[in-house]
Amino acid sequence: MLIAATNVLTFPDYAVILVYLLITLGIGLAIGWRLKTGADFFLGGRRLPWWAVGMSLVATDIGGTDIIGVGGAAYSYGLAVANFEWIGCVPAMIVGAFVFIPFFYRSGVYTVPEFLERRYNAGVRSVTAACWLIFMACNLGIMLLASAKMMSAVFGWNAEACIIGTALLVGGYTFVGGMAAVVYTDTLQCAVMIFGCLLILVLGIVRVGGIGELRERLREVENREASIVAGVSADASLPLPQQATRGSDPAPIDPPSRTSLILPVDTQTPFPWPGILFGLTLILSPAYWIGNQAIVQRSLSARSEFEAKASYVWGALLKNLIPLIVAIPGLIALALIPDLRDGDAAIPRLVGELLPAGLRGLFVAAFLAALMSSIDSYLNSAATIVSHDLYKRFIRPDVSDESLLRIGRGTTVALGVWALVFALLLTRMSEQSGIYAIFQTLMAFFQGPTFAVLLLGILWYRATGKAALIALLCGISTAISLYALNQPAVFRTLGWEPLFRIQDPFLYFSIWSFLVTATVLVTISLLSPPDPPEKLRYVFRFDSRGRNASSRAASGESS
Amino acid sequence: MTPLHAFGDALREGLLAIPLSAVRGLFVALLVGLLIWVLWLPAKATQPPGGAKRFDENLKWGAAIAILIQIMIYSLL
Repeated sequence: MLIAATNVLTFPDYAVILVYLLITLGIGLAIGWRLKTGADFFLGGRRLPWWAVGMSLVATDIGGTDIIGVGGAAYSYGLAVANFEWIGCVPAMIVGAFVFIPFFYRSGVYTVPEFLERRYNAGVRSVTAACWLIFMACNLGIMLLASAKMMSAVFGWNAEACIIGTALLVGGYTFVGGMAAVVYTDTLQCAVMIFGCLLILVLGIVRVGGIGELRERLREVENREASIVAGVSADASLPLPQQATRGSDPAPIDPPSRTSLILPVDTQTPFPWPGILFGLTLILSPAYWIGNQAIVQRSLSARSEFEAKASYVWGALLKNLIPLIVAIPGLIALALIPDLRDGDAAIPRLVGELLPAGLRGLFVAAFLAALMSSIDSYLNSAATIVSHDLYKRFIRPDVSDESLLRIGRGTTVALGVWALVFALLLTRMSEQSGIYAIFQTLMAFFQGPTFAVLLLGILWYRATGKAALIALLCGISTAISLYALNQPAVFRTLGWEPLFRIQDPFLYFSIWSFLVTATVLVTISLLSPPDPPEKLRYVFRFDSRGRNASSRAASGESS
Repeated sequence: MTPLHAFGDALREGLLAIPLSAVRGLFVALLVGLLIWVLWLPAKATQPPGGAKRFDENLKWGAAIAILIQIMIYSLL
C-alpha cells in the first residue's frame, strides 16, 4: 500500500480518540455485569431494541477497511462500487425483514446452521458451521491485519501495536458483555462513523465548489481518460483502471463512467451489470442478509418478532445513506487530487487536505468505530457457532445455560488469541502472496451454495436433507474449481484462456456455484423419498398449505 | 477453447446485445416489483400484534420509503 503517513495527529485528536475508546469500553463493561446465562451472552437475553439492532446491522456491515477501501474503489472505478450498499443491500433487507427473519425468530434457534439441522440434517449443519467458522476465524485475523496496516500507513502507528491494541480492546468488551455489548457499542460506533464521514463529505463538497462543480470536474476526468484510451493524449499519470482485453482482440475498452451505477458487460472494473444484478442482488446480497450468522444473530436478539423485522427495515433506510458518506468522498478526492496512482491513498489524502488538526481525531474515531463494530460482531458470532453448533451439539448436549456462558466467554478469548496470532503471522508474509485476494474470495466460495440450500429448504417442501448435503458439497467444489481454473498458473498450464475476463470475478463464482447447488438439490430431491413431516415444519407457509402439502410430500409428488 | 469457453462467449455476446437503457429498466422494474409486493403485504406481516397505533409502527411505510429512494437512485444514476 503506497500511502504516506502524512496525517499528523495532535493532542486534541488523541483526546477525541481516547474519549471515544473509553466510552466504548465503559458500555461493554457496564453491560457485562448483568450477564448471567448463555442466552444473555449470545442473544442479549432477547431484550434488545429494534433501533439498536438496526444500527448494529449497518455498523457490522461496514468494516474499517471499507471506510478507506470503498472510497478508494470509487476513486478508481467510480460510483458503481455503491451498488454494494444500495441494490446490494436494501432489497435483500426488505425481503429478509418480512419473509425470512420472522421465520428464524419464531423457530427459536441461535444460529443459521442450527436451523439447517432442523430443516435437513446434522451433516448440512456441520458443513455450514465449519464453513462459517473457518471464514470468520480467518477473517478476524485479516480484518485486524488490514486495519492495522492502514492505521500504520495513514497515521504512522506501529502495525503490530495496532493489532495487539485492537484485539485486546475489542476482545475485552466482547468477552465481558457478549451480544448486548456488541449491539450497544455498534450503535455508538454507527453514529460516530456516520458523523465522521459526513464531515468529510460536507467539507469536500464545499471545497470543490458544490455538486454541479463536482460533476463538471468528473466529466473532465472522464474526457481525459477517453483521450488516453484513444491514444490521443500522452498524459499517462491519470488513474486509469487496469486495462482489460477481450480475448484475442486487444482493442482497449472505454473507461467507466464515474457517476454511473450500471456498467456494461465489458467494463474494465469488477462491477459489470450482470454480476451486479444476478451475482450481487439476487445471490450474494440475500445470502449475506439472510444467511450470514453474524448478521442474522443480531436480529434474533431483538425483543420481539416485530422488532426483529423493524430492525431490518430501519437498517435498510440507513443503508441508503451509506454510499453518500463512504463512496462520494472517493469522487471528491478524484476531483480535488486527480493524479493518484493508488486509489487506497485517496481518502487518507482527502482527510489530510480537508480536516484541520483536531478534527482528524474524529475521522480516526470513525475509522476505529467501523473496524471495531465488525470485529466484535464476528468474534461473538464465531463464539456462538463453536458453543452451539460444535460444543453443545456434539460434545455436551446437556450443558446448562450458565455453563454455556463460560464456554462462550472462553471461546471468545480463544478466538481473540487466534486472530491476534494469525494477524501477526500474516504481517511476516509478503503483500504479493495473494493472501488478501484469497480470503476476499473465500466468502464467495460458500455463500452461493449455502444460500441455495437455505432458500430451497425454506421455500420448497420437497427439498431433502440428503440432497442438500450433496448439493452443498457440489456447489462449494464448483466455486473452488472456477477459482482455480481462473488462476493464470493453472489456465496457462492447461493451455486455456481465462474463464472470466474481468478483475476479481467473485460475483460470477457465486452465480455458478448457486446454480449448480440448486440444480443438484432439485434433481436429487425429486429422485429420492421425501423427508419426514417433522422436517417440513420449517418450510415457509407450510402451515397454511396444511394437509394438502403434507400429503403431496408424503406421496412423493413434485410441485 | 473448451465447451465452457464457448458457452461463456455465447452468453457474453447475448448479454452485450442488451442495451444499457434496457438494463436500467430491468433494475428499476425489479425495485418497482418489490415496492408493489411490500404495499400488498397483509397488516399482520407489517404491524405489531395489537395493530399500528402510530404511522411509524406500520413497517410497510418505512420499507416503501427505502425502496422509493432506491428507485429514484437507479432511475437517475
